[in-house]
This record gives sequence, structure tokens and C-alpha cells, in this order.
Amino acid sequence: MRGLSQRPGRSLTFRSVAQFRLQGSKVLAVDMTGDAVKAKNGSMVAYEGDMTFKKMTGGGDGLRGMVTRRLTGEQMTVMEVKGHGTCYFADRASEINLVSLTGETLYVEASNLLCTEATLRTGTSFTGLRGASQGNGLFTTTVEGTGQAALLSDGTAIVLRVTPQTPLSVDPGAYIAHTGRLRQHFQSGVNFRTFLGEGSGEAFQIRFEGDGLVYVQPSERTTFGGDV
Amino acid sequence: MNGPVIHDAQTLPVNDNVNPYAFSVDLNGQWFLQKGKMVAYFGQIAFHGIGHGPLDRIIQASFHSPLHAQDWVVAEGHGRMVLADRAFDVNSYDLEEGNLTVRSGNLLAFEPSLALKQSIIPGFVTLIGTGKFVAASNGPVVFAEPPIRVDPQALVGWADCPSPCHHYDHQYMRGVLGGVRMLTGFGGASGEEHQFEFVGAGTVLLQSSERLMEERPTGTPPDEAGVPQGGTPSTTANQPSTPRLPGQLGDLQRRFGL
Repeated sequence: MRGLSQRPGRSLTFRSVAQFRLQGSKVLAVDMTGDAVKAKNGSMVAYEGDMTFKKMTGGGDGLRGMVTRRLTGEQMTVMEVKGHGTCYFADRASEINLVSLTGETLYVEASNLLCTEATLRTGTSFTGLRGASQGNGLFTTTVEGTGQAALLSDGTAIVLRVTPQTPLSVDPGAYIAHTGRLRQHFQSGVNFRTFLGEGSGEAFQIRFEGDGLVYVQPSERTTFGGDV
Repeated sequence: MNGPVIHDAQTLPVNDNVNPYAFSVDLNGQWFLQKGKMVAYFGQIAFHGIGHGPLDRIIQASFHSPLHAQDWVVAEGHGRMVLADRAFDVNSYDLEEGNLTVRSGNLLAFEPSLALKQSIIPGFVTLIGTGKFVAASNGPVVFAEPPIRVDPQALVGWADCPSPCHHYDHQYMRGVLGGVRMLTGFGGASGEEHQFEFVGAGTVLLQSSERLMEERPTGTPPDEAGVPQGGTPSTTANQPSTPRLPGQLGDLQRRFGL
């Protein structure tokens, strides 16, 4: 029960994990009692109480993670925030979506990850061709463990459930994250018309099959495949 | 934690908004979309460029003008499809035996039962018929009834009413001082000296911001006498070769009575 004595006049809380809540839809408030969270570098907008901020070299995955991130290009600048009180995070007025993980793995684009609890492990994984079409590289960030994570999206994200009977196709530019046991492959509708300048504008899609959730944003990043 | 709503292939709304920024279409047949506005879909859906041969008939029925058709895509198949545009607000509208003119960049998708035509007002397109269409706006759309004067940047489109005309704040711009004010900005310009004026019966659609959406090519009108902005600008009329700005010296001279 750390932190009990240090916050007189406040309601006492008997937990030692950071508590994520949304303040509106674009600000994340994290209540901390001596524990830590990992957040995108420079995303703190305000805090109450005592906080320390420490830049974590190489995405905060340790030496091996640092090398992997450097090699894969899935770079993330992360800081560790530790203290007592409430810390507020936001990034360019993007919408924030909370994700609760109970042991599963969340796959997310590094640029869309705002904040994770310290109990969650982050790493990198190979995504295959999807990354190449997005211009985000061939690798993506993984978040594993039990706890909460906050994702960024341009506009309120839509969460779509994929079942074995209902596979889902997603525009690479609108994809932000997914969880669950999903296989993804790349589908392309490029044909000779594409080269005549009569492409459909939807030439590339990622097809998700299996069981899980996919997060998409109502906006498309400018992608290599976007105009084909 | 009360998490976000999770949609699956069955619970995704049928021809309705998923959230203010995304619209779900229950596709059973064909829809026209602007290129690159599909975000995700369940089911079997194929996307074809307008040049796709077998689609010739439907395109003939829905477009009438080949000039702007290359910006459109036909989605064909069965399933639920989510449409969105750069996190702008999207809304669907039902048109019943009506006509609606909308800024070309704002129209996202429409049912093939509607026909899309090039408006005689440059930068606008007109939808005619019965059916549903989806349009984007920067901020929620406000519906207004004529008579009304609207800011040019806030105008999204209008339905059923006659074409708008320009309206200038004559009181403000009158006389020599008005001319100087327009030319130099001295004396202050409110930025609201010019509006579009709508009269007659109908509905005017306004967006709640003055940020315009990128214009889509609507095609060049044929070069023909009597067609506004038809083909190359005509120089046959007795107009000066350079376009004249309001408040230019000529105007001032005229104001002085020279």
C-alpha cells in the first residue's frame, strides 16, 4: 500500500497499479501511487503530485530490444513516468482508446501507442508485407501481459471483431492495432487497369482471419498503396 | 473499464453511422465510392475502377459524364463496409425524387439508383433521383431554410432550391473609401463582405467550420457558347486580358467619376 501516507486529504486508494481513465476523449489521465507507466516521449501535458520522467533508451525493451528496434526501424521514443498523483497525457489532439489486456498480445503501430502500464512488456514482431505497403516498415510493436494500454487514433477508433466465419479486410492506412489469434495476409487487386490509371484506389488490403479484435481509425494515413 | 463498443459482422450498423466519423454500408449489390474512402469490410466485396468493362451499363446510367468518373470506384458484392474520410464528420442523406448539389470534395459515396452529374457551377456535382448518399463535412452539418445568406467556405451543398447568387455587402464597399478599404485593408475588413444568397423553397447544408475540403475534379465543361467556364476561357468578349480584382485602379477611377 505504497503512497497512503503521502497523500493526505485525498481519498485513499488501496491499489498499487496505475489507473487509466479518459478525460474527455483526447486526454488520458493516469492515477499513480508510486508505480510507473511507459508513455510516448513528450506526451505529458500536465500532472498533479510528484512525478519523475525518464527517457528510456531504445523503446524501453532493454538492450536486446534496443538493438532489435534499431535494426527493424520500428523505433519508439518512450519515457518512464513514475510517481504519486495524476499524470495527463495527450498527443496532437488525437483520440485515445483504452485497451485492457489479460495475458494476450496487442499488436500496434509504434506511432499509435501512447501509454502502457509498466507491467506490460513491449517488443517488436515481424508483420510481413503489410508494413511495406504502409510505409511503416516490415515490423510492428507488440504489447504483452496484463494491464492497460492507450492507443492513439485519428478520429474515434472502430473496434471490429473477427471470427472464423467472418474474416475482415482492412485498408492498410486505416489499421492501427489488433489483438487475438489472427492471421493476416496481404491481398492485392492490382491488375492491368491499375497501370492504365484506372485503379480502384483500394488496391491493397490486409485480410484478417481467425479470432480477435481489429482497431481501425476513420482516416487513412498517406500510404504507398493509397492512390493505386 | 467500460471499453469501446465492439462491432462484428452482424452488429455493424446497417446503412448508418458507426460513430460520427465512420459510416457502415450494408452492401448487397453495388455502391459508388470516392477512391480510397473504404476503411474496412466484412464479406466478399470487390472494388473496380470505373473503366471495368462489365460495369459499363451501370456507369452509363449513373454518371452521364465520363470526365470525372475516374475518381470513382464501384464496390460490388455482399457484406458490410465501413467508409470514412480523414476523420471528418460523415452523414448519410436520403434523397427522394429530388436533386441535391454538393461540393465535389464532400461527396463520399452514393447508391447507384442516384445519378451523379456535373453541376453548371464549377466545383460542384449534382445528384438526381431516389436513394442514399454519404457526404463528409468539417464538423457536423447544419440544415437551413432559404432565404439565407451563407459564407462561401461554410457551404456544403443545397437541395431542391434554385442556384445561389453572390451577395456583396454593398453598404460597406460603397464609395471611394470602400474601394480603398478593399484594396489595402486599411479601415478594416470584416472578411464577411461576400456571401452566397439562397432564395426559394429547399434546404441548404452548411458545415460548422470554414475549412474547405480538397476539391475533386468534376470535369471540364464543353467549350461551347453559353456554357459557364466552358473549355478555355474565352477572350473574344471585350474583356481585358488580365483578370481584374475588385478595387483595382479602374474601379477607383470609376468611383471618382473619371
